[in-house]
Amino acid sequence: MKAFLGVFVSVVLGSTFCFVFWVVISHEYQWSDIAPYKGNFVSGWWTTLLISAIALVGSIVIGALLTSGQLSPWSAPRVLSRTFVEIIRGTPLLTQILIGYYLVAPAIGWDSRFGVGVLILSCFAGAYLSEIFRGGIESIPSTQWLSARAIGFTDAQTYRFVVIPQAIRRVLPASAGQFANLIKDSSLLFVISVHEFTMQAREVNANTYATFEAYLPLIFGYFVLTFPISLISRHLEKRFSYEH
Amino acid sequence: MSIETHGLRKQYDSTVALSDVSVSVGDDVQVLALIGPSGGGKSTFLRLIGGLERPCSGSVSVDGKTLPDGERALLEWRKRNGFLFQAFNLFPHLTAEENVILPLVEVHEISREEATAGAREVLSRFGLGDHLAKQPGQLSGGQQQRVALARAIAHRPRWLLLDEPTSALDPEMKAEVLDLIDELRQNGQRIILSTHEMGFARRAADHVVFLSGGRKLEEGNAERLFTSPETAEVRSFLQKVMKW
Repeated sequence: MKAFLGVFVSVVLGSTFCFVFWVVISHEYQWSDIAPYKGNFVSGWWTTLLISAIALVGSIVIGALLTSGQLSPWSAPRVLSRTFVEIIRGTPLLTQILIGYYLVAPAIGWDSRFGVGVLILSCFAGAYLSEIFRGGIESIPSTQWLSARAIGFTDAQTYRFVVIPQAIRRVLPASAGQFANLIKDSSLLFVISVHEFTMQAREVNANTYATFEAYLPLIFGYFVLTFPISLISRHLEKRFSYEH
Repeated sequence: MSIETHGLRKQYDSTVALSDVSVSVGDDVQVLALIGPSGGGKSTFLRLIGGLERPCSGSVSVDGKTLPDGERALLEWRKRNGFLFQAFNLFPHLTAEENVILPLVEVHEISREEATAGAREVLSRFGLGDHLAKQPGQLSGGQQQRVALARAIAHRPRWLLLDEPTSALDPEMKAEVLDLIDELRQNGQRIILSTHEMGFARRAADHVVFLSGGRKLEEGNAERLFTSPETAEVRSFLQKVMKW
């Protein structure tokens, strides 16, 4: 049964891949149509890289703040962080971008598509990261805390020397996934006309009607951004690894 | 140099771990052993003496000083002792050497050079000279417990508190660890241990406290308690565990 399932899955996956491959190579490409728009792709890709890089740092900061809020001994930061995380995780990113840019930003007199976009992405990814961080920290066995207390560590020292170094190893794979998501999610910022990679491809498509040619570069463009994250994460996992 | 407890009580939710335990151990006692059935309150008693937990009521005084209330003062109290746990509780992400060095540097504020030299000296004395750079996961149970013992005594604690130090070890490793503890005793280290090793308790301890069901059933000179216990329960316990 297991062998049959294995063969079945391989056949389905294999034939799907072949079909997509055939569609992609059999298309008659008109690269000359989009050649004049090369600059749009390049500037869009750089914008996406810039948005992602800033939002990545922002999401780590927001994630760490939300985690400390959730683990706080006081109830006010706990409730606030929890509420924030639930609202962000329970609503679509697209809605957050629209409400953030068209309702909240004007109310405080902020008119930067780029800035608002980066902040919303940071909050969105930060909320998910905070849950990953919290899970990692709470997975450290209580015996480690006991041992640290016995040694004479304060809570801060216990976090710094015992809990966080061990938690980092545990949260790396999930965090890397979240960072890759962040890069891909930045494509939604086209709805507030941030001239990132996907927005540029849409514009090229609108101008040339060369749909394939306009959108295919996106696959490569996003992949060269997300793949290094995967590699770096694996490298860090090895660096922080220890035997249990 | 004494240990006194009055009406010590500790309760976790609805479970009473220790109830009205009063113990008086004089200056002349160098090794105090806590014996009795599992779940009898030995570990809880040890943790209260060591300042790892606070009693619900009653008082602890060690060497004429009363166990303080505030977290800061408790931290100072804990720093003066060395604690060893049944499950070693080493920090798995650090090497054997770093497990010993870290508390010396961060808690006892000894320079890194001095701490490294001290850690190497004590680890070599414990036969771990070849394992300095290994992480706990790469060491056997006996080796891990010896590293944990090195960590517990490296700062020359006033009292060494051992919570069933050999319960998780096989017989050969048990002997290794007990030999080391005995060596520390011969060098004048004051020790409080909870143990199921009756032979060791009888030979090494000056004073024995028998705890069962969270109550103290008997205490006294080790030789006296082992040869002529006063209560029927202690007699029956000793007969059972000494039979083989």
